[in-house]
Amino acid sequence: MADITAPMPGKICEVNVAPGDTVTAEQEIVVLEAMKMEMPIITPAAGAVASVNCSKGDAVQGGDVLVVIE
Amino acid sequence: MSEETTHQSAYKRLKDLQKRAEQGGGSKAIEKRHAAGKLTARERLDLLFDKGTFVELNQLAESQAIDFGMQEKKVPGDGVVIGYGNIDDRLVFAYAQDATVLGGSVGTLHGRKICRIQDEAIKVKAPIIGLFDSGGGRLHEGFFASKGVAGIFFRNTRSSGVVPQISAMMGPCAGVSVYSPALTDMIIMVEGTSQMAITGPGVIKSVTGEEVTLEELGGAKVHSEMTGQAHLTAENDEACIQLIRELLAFLPSNHLEMPPVHPSEDDVNRTDDTLEEIIPASFRKAYDMRKFVRRVTDNGDFFELLPRYARNIIIGFARMDGQTVGIVGNQPNVLAGCLDVNSSDKAARFIRFCDAFNIPLINFVDVPGYFPGVKQEYAGIIRHGAKMLYAYAEATVPKITLALRKEYGGAVMAMCCVGMGVDMMLAWPVAKLVVLDTTAAVNLIFRKEIKAAENPDEFRNEMIQAYDHKYSNPFHAASNMLVDKIIKPSETRPELIHALKMLKNKQPAEPFRKHGNIPL
Repeated sequence: MADITAPMPGKICEVNVAPGDTVTAEQEIVVLEAMKMEMPIITPAAGAVASVNCSKGDAVQGGDVLVVIE
Repeated sequence: MSEETTHQSAYKRLKDLQKRAEQGGGSKAIEKRHAAGKLTARERLDLLFDKGTFVELNQLAESQAIDFGMQEKKVPGDGVVIGYGNIDDRLVFAYAQDATVLGGSVGTLHGRKICRIQDEAIKVKAPIIGLFDSGGGRLHEGFFASKGVAGIFFRNTRSSGVVPQISAMMGPCAGVSVYSPALTDMIIMVEGTSQMAITGPGVIKSVTGEEVTLEELGGAKVHSEMTGQAHLTAENDEACIQLIRELLAFLPSNHLEMPPVHPSEDDVNRTDDTLEEIIPASFRKAYDMRKFVRRVTDNGDFFELLPRYARNIIIGFARMDGQTVGIVGNQPNVLAGCLDVNSSDKAARFIRFCDAFNIPLINFVDVPGYFPGVKQEYAGIIRHGAKMLYAYAEATVPKITLALRKEYGGAVMAMCCVGMGVDMMLAWPVAKLVVLDTTAAVNLIFRKEIKAAENPDEFRNEMIQAYDHKYSNPFHAASNMLVDKIIKPSETRPELIHALKMLKNKQPAEPFRKHGNIPL
């Protein structure tokens, strides 16, 4: 079980996974725009997406859980 | 009447003692280690050194303590194996704690043995490796053991910057066996079987009531991701030893030597058109700086240190035309590549290590600035950020900086620019060397004018374009000699190698002083 959190405040510009998807390690699952940069959020390990807590356009705070992987 | 001593009988006595020393804590204890996936101290040293080159010293040193069961428990060697041998045909010293003997605890003689081999390494100026596997000082011996402990710290410090010191954590370690590594240059931890903590879970529970396992408190994950204490981790003992050998291959034996040259087949004039794809011209697009580094260095090798700590900056060793270089690069994929407290610490210590051991620095810059926020300010970003300024300004090794995209604000100085003592300032044509991001600059400069304009947005855009054209490029900086050369992206590798060759015999004049006072 891994919570994928926002590393800093920003805006979600892409969500590339849906609940039930399987992901590989270091897969780009969300793109966060912050500091005028579109940064990929990657998975630390392979697994299945348990939940997706953000959608395109959302403003998020640093530490917010974006995706849960199990 | 006792039998007269003969050569044979004396030699037999020696062999018996040696056998006793080599058995350490005995075959049962050794079996237990093997079952846990750990090697013994001697097996580790055998792997570390070129085959058959290790020479053990002071094998028969033995604790003089007799109280609290020590008379029965003590073993020749006193729980640490010290000696020297060759690694890739170069002289290296080492000590390995033997956890099968009294838990690898540092008794008086154990401590003296480590100090003795540290002295030898300093005398002949060769690297020293510590393989740690010990819970700390030996309580049976009371305060006597503390002299050895203090002596290890003293020598760690006095040999810092003289010979490379590498520590491998190969078991649960506390006390002296974590502070000594902290004083050395690099720490490698074995995943799952090594831990580092000042006070263990037992003491913590009794004092603060917190419940935590030793692995949660100080395992490889904690120290490689949270504290930045472990430069590297390895999945087992063998991989850990292999990493030490790889690391040493980048380093000179001491501060007076140059790092060994490892000639490569990789063409020094190799150009690479994919570099422009790896680093997008659009400043909004992030990328992995490590991918870029691996396209530029010899054979695509990059020996990254602290890869999971303060990931917004990357540090590590590589080779260019066979010569070791230290690479510092912003990482746009993480925190947009901003500098913060931890990344400043991480880079500054690496810069100083490279400087101490004659390793040229190559800085790949794509930095939007310092990471803003109350947390960073309260965490002391001024003091920590200043470490990078200090480290770069202090470093006398060749310093080459390549501005790739963003060279913004105060962070530019922290990445070593003209005025900070850079020897060669290169830039890609898309780079922008500016005090502030254009929009922010225009908003500040023309605040009144924008407000007063008939069409504020239009006016702002006009000013943005004008400002961009004038300042947000490397050409303006080059016209003021703030950039020495603007290079074609595909020619990055040959350009860097030319600069390194030119700077090879750099002979800096140093002011006399006792030592500087880096903001710690």
